[in-house]
Amino acid sequence: MATDGGAYSYSLTVFSPSGKLVQIEHALAAVAGGTTSLGIKASNGIVIATEKKTSSILIDDSMLDKVCVICPNIGIVYSGMGPDFRVLVAKARKSAQAYWKIYGEYPPTRVLTQEIATVMQQATQSGGVRPYGVSLLVAGWDVNRGPSLYQVDPSGSYWAWKASAIGKNMVNAKTFLEKRYNDDISLEDAIHTALLTLKEGFEGQMTEKTIEIGVVTVPTPTEIDAERMAGPNDRPKPTFRKLSEEEVRDYLAL
Amino acid sequence: MSIMEYNGGSVIAMVGKGCVAIGSDLRLGNQALTVATNFEKVFPVTDRIYLGMSGLATDVATLREQFRFRVNMYQIKEERDIEPEAFAHLVSSTLYERRFGPYFIEPVIGGLWKTQGGEYKPYIAAADLIGCLNFAKDFVVAGTASEKLFGVAEGLWEPDLEPEDLFETISQTLMNGVDRDAYSGWGAIIHIVTPDKVVTRTLKGRMD
Amino acid sequence: MECSFALTGKGYVLIAADTTAARSIVKMKADEDKIKSLGPHLLMAYSGEPGDTVQFAEYVERNIRLYQIRNLYPLRPASAASWVRRALADSLRSRSPYSVNLLLGGYDTATHAPSLYWIDYLGTQAEVPFACHGYGSYFALSLLDRYHDPEASLEEGLATLRRCIDEVAKRLVVAPGKYKVKVVDKDGVREIEL
Repeated sequence: MATDGGAYSYSLTVFSPSGKLVQIEHALAAVAGGTTSLGIKASNGIVIATEKKTSSILIDDSMLDKVCVICPNIGIVYSGMGPDFRVLVAKARKSAQAYWKIYGEYPPTRVLTQEIATVMQQATQSGGVRPYGVSLLVAGWDVNRGPSLYQVDPSGSYWAWKASAIGKNMVNAKTFLEKRYNDDISLEDAIHTALLTLKEGFEGQMTEKTIEIGVVTVPTPTEIDAERMAGPNDRPKPTFRKLSEEEVRDYLAL
Repeated sequence: MSIMEYNGGSVIAMVGKGCVAIGSDLRLGNQALTVATNFEKVFPVTDRIYLGMSGLATDVATLREQFRFRVNMYQIKEERDIEPEAFAHLVSSTLYERRFGPYFIEPVIGGLWKTQGGEYKPYIAAADLIGCLNFAKDFVVAGTASEKLFGVAEGLWEPDLEPEDLFETISQTLMNGVDRDAYSGWGAIIHIVTPDKVVTRTLKGRMD
Repeated sequence: MECSFALTGKGYVLIAADTTAARSIVKMKADEDKIKSLGPHLLMAYSGEPGDTVQFAEYVERNIRLYQIRNLYPLRPASAASWVRRALADSLRSRSPYSVNLLLGGYDTATHAPSLYWIDYLGTQAEVPFACHGYGSYFALSLLDRYHDPEASLEEGLATLRRCIDEVAKRLVVAPGKYKVKVVDKDGVREIEL
């Protein structure tokens, strides 16, 4: 329990007689109502992308971030509730830095995903809190497992995917991805597939203002060795980065 | 009397060609009185990493247990062996946790890491009692005979020694170094870490 | 002043400790037993700060007993020594550390090997063929270097122990008068008259 309220502090998430945790189902409904996000693993990298929707044209959408860098090798995107995502991003970043402080390197994708999943699971069992209303796609690269793409749900479960979609259009998007996916797709092709998938069921115009893209690139063996032999003051070369508006515009133009 | 010299003992690690060597003396004392002559100060961490600790013997034992715990947890969580660089940082951060009430040990780390091309490269490091890391390219020393070990090692060590020659170099360095130190000695133990095996040898010295 | 000796032999560990309980310069008691049996095959001699010694020894005794009750078998000597060492090492960095020095002698019924552990109040532990605590160690250790034999029979072991005690009686100004001697072997623990 996060804060101890004694014997009368019951979790809000309680089993229904049929064995379901209704709060988690509601959280999944919140996710299913959120804007679509997707991720595709390519042979030489990963792309994660999402649709960015604003309620008014007066909102400055250049300040809005849905794809977030957690540490130089990991980025995440979400579908569901924005504020909940912000909290998780803050926790994930803190966790990545704590890991760096102990081991002098950033966490592998799997370890960071587990860490986030643990935070989300705890919200389903603690007193006085509700589950997080988001699903996440975590994309990262590390020496041990190479590029990997994970999905984390409000229940705290997580899976590794070759390609996945979450949010409003997830069923259609996944069917689309199943048809389009193959194992030796290149990162460039994956980015185009991602955009095509988002296009299905996209409301309004797809522009660099309404699309966000993050990519994981795989470093060469020489780059990996150079990274390990770098001095303590050298900054790690990022393997995850967000595409700039210009880059997104170029991909949309093609 | 310094706490660091209360039990006596010395540790050394050296880089070779695709191999590392790490060793310690075997004395455990209570100041000038020798209590045991079988007190090893170097411990295996993984198949390719060894950790040596000199200083207060109770802290050597406590930290050996502490590091075994943390490395085991790492291996279960990450489903892989810890690499020398990450382990060195783990040692450093563990010691710095006790910045204002330190464990009185100086660690020495020796290990091999695998490049993307599949060959193994040597890695050594040492730290002070609060975890300030020293990455050396040739050799690192610690303990009551450290000044002597620096001197002898400076004279004997050369780059790219094969495992057998490295064993001879580290053995001569350690044995002759501790002979000039009343608080170290009573034989030594040396581990030569190579990509496919670790050779461990116990040496007898001036047993007095 | 307090003295304790211990040595291993063929299938046994001998432990001797003086029997004086002193406060400052006054002998309060001359028949104090400072060797506890922690189990069917485990002995512990304790010395150090009066008060701490009995307190800590009883704490160890009860915990080792608790282990045996919970698990239906006793802790083996190596594990018991490790537990006691950790208790002292943790105590050292607590607000009120115990100042207790120990000799732990045990017979491992699984490997049929006797073992002896030297442990000091800092939590320093060493497995040794023979060991001493107190001023007696400055005399007895060199004798044991010369006369100790890991293959010695109990009679020979006792003779070596007697040498140590006699030497301390002869040379140490503050030598204790009487000792209690206990042995642990395959048959368990028992007291021996010197």
